[in-house]
Amino acid sequence: MDESAVVTAGGAGGRPAPGAVVRIRGILKSYKGQAAVRGVDLDVAPGEIYGLIGPDGAGKSSVMKAVAGVLAHDAGTLEVLGKVVDSEGSAERIKVDIGFMPQGLGQNLYPELSVEENIDFFARSRLVPREQIRERKDRLLAMTRLAAFRDRPMKNLSGGMKQKLGLVCTLIHEPRLVILDEPTTGVDPVSRRDFWSILTQLLRERGITALISTAYMDEASRFHRLSLFFGGKVIASGTPDELTALAPGAVVTLRCGAQAMAMERLREHFPQVEARGELLRVFVRNATDEEAAQRALEVLNGMDATVLYTGVAELEDVFIARLSDLGLAAEEGAGGEAEGAAKPGAAPILNAREANEDVAIEAKGLVRAFGEFRAVDDVSFRVPQGEIFGLLGANGAGKTTVIKMLVGLLPPTGGRGMVAGRDMRRAPREIKEHIGYMSQVFSLYGDLTVTENIRLYAGIYGLGKNESRERVQWVLHMADLEGMERKPASSLPVGVRQRLALGCALVHRPRILFLDEPTSGVDPVGRRRFWDILFQLSKRDKVAILITTHYMSEAEHCDHLALMYAGRIVADSTPERMKRELEEEAGRLLEIHTDNPLSALSLLEGAGFEGAALHGNNVHVLARDLEEAERRARQSLSSGGVRVLSVSGQPLGMEDVFVYRVLALEKEEKR
Amino acid sequence: MRKEARDMLTRTVLWGRRLRVMTVKELLQFSRDVVLILFMAYTFTADVYLGGQGVSLELRRAATFFLDNDHSYTSRELMDRFRPSSFDFSGEVSSPAEGIALLDRGDAMVVFDIPPRFEELLLTGKPASLQVQIDSTNSVLGLLAGSYCSRIVSAFGMEAGLRRMGLTAESLKHMPMIVDEQRVWFNPNEDDRWFMSIAELLNVVTLFAMLLPAAAMVREKERGTVDQLLVTPLSTLQIMLPKVLAMTLVIMIGVNISLFGIMRPFFHVPIRGSVNLFMAVTALYVFATSGLGLLIATIARNLGQAAMLTVMSYGPMIFLSGAWTPPEAMPKLFRILMVTSPLHHYIDVSFGVLLKGAGTSLLWDSILGMAAFGAVLFGLGMWRLRRQF
Repeated sequence: MDESAVVTAGGAGGRPAPGAVVRIRGILKSYKGQAAVRGVDLDVAPGEIYGLIGPDGAGKSSVMKAVAGVLAHDAGTLEVLGKVVDSEGSAERIKVDIGFMPQGLGQNLYPELSVEENIDFFARSRLVPREQIRERKDRLLAMTRLAAFRDRPMKNLSGGMKQKLGLVCTLIHEPRLVILDEPTTGVDPVSRRDFWSILTQLLRERGITALISTAYMDEASRFHRLSLFFGGKVIASGTPDELTALAPGAVVTLRCGAQAMAMERLREHFPQVEARGELLRVFVRNATDEEAAQRALEVLNGMDATVLYTGVAELEDVFIARLSDLGLAAEEGAGGEAEGAAKPGAAPILNAREANEDVAIEAKGLVRAFGEFRAVDDVSFRVPQGEIFGLLGANGAGKTTVIKMLVGLLPPTGGRGMVAGRDMRRAPREIKEHIGYMSQVFSLYGDLTVTENIRLYAGIYGLGKNESRERVQWVLHMADLEGMERKPASSLPVGVRQRLALGCALVHRPRILFLDEPTSGVDPVGRRRFWDILFQLSKRDKVAILITTHYMSEAEHCDHLALMYAGRIVADSTPERMKRELEEEAGRLLEIHTDNPLSALSLLEGAGFEGAALHGNNVHVLARDLEEAERRARQSLSSGGVRVLSVSGQPLGMEDVFVYRVLALEKEEKR
Repeated sequence: MRKEARDMLTRTVLWGRRLRVMTVKELLQFSRDVVLILFMAYTFTADVYLGGQGVSLELRRAATFFLDNDHSYTSRELMDRFRPSSFDFSGEVSSPAEGIALLDRGDAMVVFDIPPRFEELLLTGKPASLQVQIDSTNSVLGLLAGSYCSRIVSAFGMEAGLRRMGLTAESLKHMPMIVDEQRVWFNPNEDDRWFMSIAELLNVVTLFAMLLPAAAMVREKERGTVDQLLVTPLSTLQIMLPKVLAMTLVIMIGVNISLFGIMRPFFHVPIRGSVNLFMAVTALYVFATSGLGLLIATIARNLGQAAMLTVMSYGPMIFLSGAWTPPEAMPKLFRILMVTSPLHHYIDVSFGVLLKGAGTSLLWDSILGMAAFGAVLFGLGMWRLRRQF
């Protein structure tokens, strides 16, 4: 029996290819009486990249673990690589052909071991012959550009590098099926792109089938097929285009002077409205582009509103629409409940940037050196009260270090960090009482229940009994934790935990908030709710918010952004201005939708489009003359045999800005 | 003026509230740790019981073999004197080699050699010699066996001498002589279960007093929760103190269970002094020792290291405590070190209160010593912790 397993592991294609790599029929799984998976059907064809999306706690991780053979299901049938998995023994037999990467940065790796030692360990434990280890290791390390870091301990790698190493370790035994649970959560956009191009190339080269979950909807639109999970069930499956067709409509982006009021008014008519910086984005269901724009303007009648763009819905809009169709998503707009999130303090300041006395957070030439290495190098910025300030940058750019210095957890090597005009390392208690902090790693008590955690922080911040009770209720509602009050925090899915952590950071109505990747691993619905709350806090209650994120769609929501690269701030401006600057520098954005995005990308790169990049399943190129560029692109694509479905000029997104800037800096550094 | 007073009051109320929520948090976390609770339940009950019952420094049923080369009435009578509970007649051997072999294998503890013509020599009034071979691997027991043997033999010899002079044991009463009569104080039955179970309890208290706060603190460091706490208005003292308070409470509960659930009903350990005094001293001791736990927490990076460091410092503490050896028997350097060991003072006080019925008037110096060294350790732990963050 073992011998046959080894033969298949070697990839000898003597056997007929089975119909489906994974075939799931009605599997059930519950934990301590709580159903996590309630009857899921799923088929994954050979060579397919199959995606699982859905809110936190929808059962994605459980299904993936069951397929990987590390979790026994309670009922239903599960076939992996043509073998029925129903016992520990059968699970062991398929494991030789499977690679599994659990959720969490570097979760399956050993922090103390070096890159090479980690790979060797995985290869040897999979009984890969010595010569093959060397050959594969060299190839994979070269491809992931980790070769230069062979001897570096895994714990000293950046998040993106950890995930690439995780991928190498998962692929070293050349499995036929890889299962990756949110592999790009907590990874910056550039590394994420990198990860995806490596992954897709490897999968294609080796004909590997993949089952991947993600919280990024642009990644989801790149899957061959995907399933939308909710409440332990699959509520929709199909290709990305099929899923998008489930909720037809158009997205209108508009500008309106009185943004908060316009948003409220739009919400009365359209369930899906969100603020993006100074713009508003409305999803109008069952409408063509023109109808949608017209209807949105009708609602805003009498207000000074201009429609900037209209376009097709993104998968994320569909995701949310689909859930609310089924009455599953909690109602949008927790904004109303942010009531009294902070006592109405000073009179609203219209242009916070210019009112100097209201500077909430200020970094003055902050430096932090670890030995020779300067993690943060002369960073200065200021955040006025009432502003959402986004700190962007690749993994390891120094964002977390800046925040740690500002909140007083890390002494700066040079410069000063001021919060409310005081140095936090010597700040009196009164200042600390008005600060909320949410660290990157989950730092609540896993052995305490949801309510106990909230109550603890209410007590620490000195809230009285009645106030504490009221705030606990507010947090439970705000973070949509009702019904989970008595669950231990450690049992919650990642996204729910993040919401709880935000709730704990807000329980005392802070005036200044530090949020370090607060939405990492949170599903799109949760993220929107999260941002609605932040929006209310900053605009109505004048809370200053310093936030880091890897979701560029979130960066759009910020009033002001600073882009960090290698410990320095390389751009400090509003999102709009950043986009405008890029437009002036590199041109406008052309979005090309084709039937084969990967070949399209390589064709366009070959045709001399330097900034070509994959965005969802479209290719984005930057060009000064759009018409000329379109002609050139169509020409090279058709000569390469790729069918162009549509080409349109699109507004630049923050992701385009981020990727362009960081890649340019990386190129410069190499020189 | 009144405003200031009010401010002061609100601040004090806040301080108390923060301390309370943090202490409740520690207790809740403790109550969720089933394995730790089971471990503690075991140590404070079964382990103390085994400590009292099982570990004994008395000589009990020592396997005794005889090489009787005389086979006389006298030799049999002498052999008959070696009885339980101290000795156990395990059989006879026929050659010295067999006796040695039994000793080598550890099957015999005592091999008693009676020479030929033993009875004849005694009756004719000539000196007779006996040989005893004792396995002194455990030196305490070996020493005891030797001294018991010589006591039995000398009593036997004395009686034999008296008989030869035509006297009985009765007639000794009319002779002028020094009579050695022992009266045992504090533990009249010389029941060493009293001593052993109390010593074991004190050891257990020491272990947990170090381990629990260290573990609680290191866990916060490991999981990053301490960062979250440091950003709040809590001071280092407000983070540390609740851990110590909560763990002191837990340990006090354990001590009560041990004292009234095990030591009183099973071993009838008397509590001659004030229970309240003993509890108060225990609380003080736990508090003092937790300082060492905090110190460990500042050095250890993870739970494993903390546990290792605890075990490492636990050994010397026990050796220097005087539980196993009286201070006078130690080398001079160790004697000086012992004065600085809180456990040494705690043992002094505990035996004093529980067995001797002593009060503060007699024990104040030990209590003071404990408090002083506890304060130093606690202060050191706090200082290191504050510097770390």
